[in-house]
Amino acid sequence: MYGWIWRHLPGNAWVRAVISLVLALAVVYALFQYVFPWAEPLLPFGDVTVDGEGTSGAGTGQ
Amino acid sequence: MATRTEHEARDGESPPEVGRGGRHPVATAVRVFGELLITAGLVLGLFVVYSLWWTNVLAGRAADRQGDTVRGHWAEGRGPGALDTRDGIGFLHVPAMGNGEVLVKKGTTTKALNNGIAGYYTDPVKSALPWDEQGNFTLAAHRDGHGARFHDIDKVRTGDPVVFETRDTWYVYEVYETLPETSKFNVGVIQPVPRESGVTEPGRYITLTTCTPVYTSKYRYIVWGELVRTEKVDRDRTKPVELR
Repeated sequence: MYGWIWRHLPGNAWVRAVISLVLALAVVYALFQYVFPWAEPLLPFGDVTVDGEGTSGAGTGQ
Repeated sequence: MATRTEHEARDGESPPEVGRGGRHPVATAVRVFGELLITAGLVLGLFVVYSLWWTNVLAGRAADRQGDTVRGHWAEGRGPGALDTRDGIGFLHVPAMGNGEVLVKKGTTTKALNNGIAGYYTDPVKSALPWDEQGNFTLAAHRDGHGARFHDIDKVRTGDPVVFETRDTWYVYEVYETLPETSKFNVGVIQPVPRESGVTEPGRYITLTTCTPVYTSKYRYIVWGELVRTEKVDRDRTKPVELR
């Protein structure tokens, strides 16, 4: 997979290395900016409130 | 017949599908699978970095900005009256947690708490506010990530002070009971009279809730305090003796 990407990048080894770095940073940026913020609420690590069943507690006194 | 079969058999053995570099397709598949596993490991590692570091950076910035907004309003003479609490009602100081001041705003939604603040409950049990005649001022904040405002809640001991600062008043509470582990469904801990902490009479209580053990949210950690005195804020915002 990575070998395939490497072979399809243009330029000599240095140019490819730079492009690879940029691609890797772009992926990390996308993860931090979009993927992780989306995934985090789906994982049970950050709930800090006590709550009745059904976390949003629809119908219980606002 | 025999020759043809032999020919076909040899054809099957011949390596037309061999990939680049002369590798067998199975080898290629195994390698791609391995690369995917490595990638998954890196992504999970990055997620840990994100959860425990980056969210703190973001939340710290957001909290500083919002705290400045509130202090700006106070300087202008607005809030924290009933009319202007949208930006936050004041700051919580818990010296035992050693984390400075924590802005307190209405509501305990994930979105709000992710800004590195503490929220007071509106649901499932409505929190009292410090200036109410009696009731329980119930707060929640993150243990890890997103500011981790209550990270060191386990360092809070009975007798420690918890101070809430509003524009005009310092509310000084004293911790009288902690509960290191309870169910997340235990709504009783934030009742106006939290009987589980041992009190039976209405009073002016404060309750801090967060998740436990650290890095997970399987249970909830609770700290209860009771108001011992209030102090007027003077011109220099001199801190009460508990915070010096």
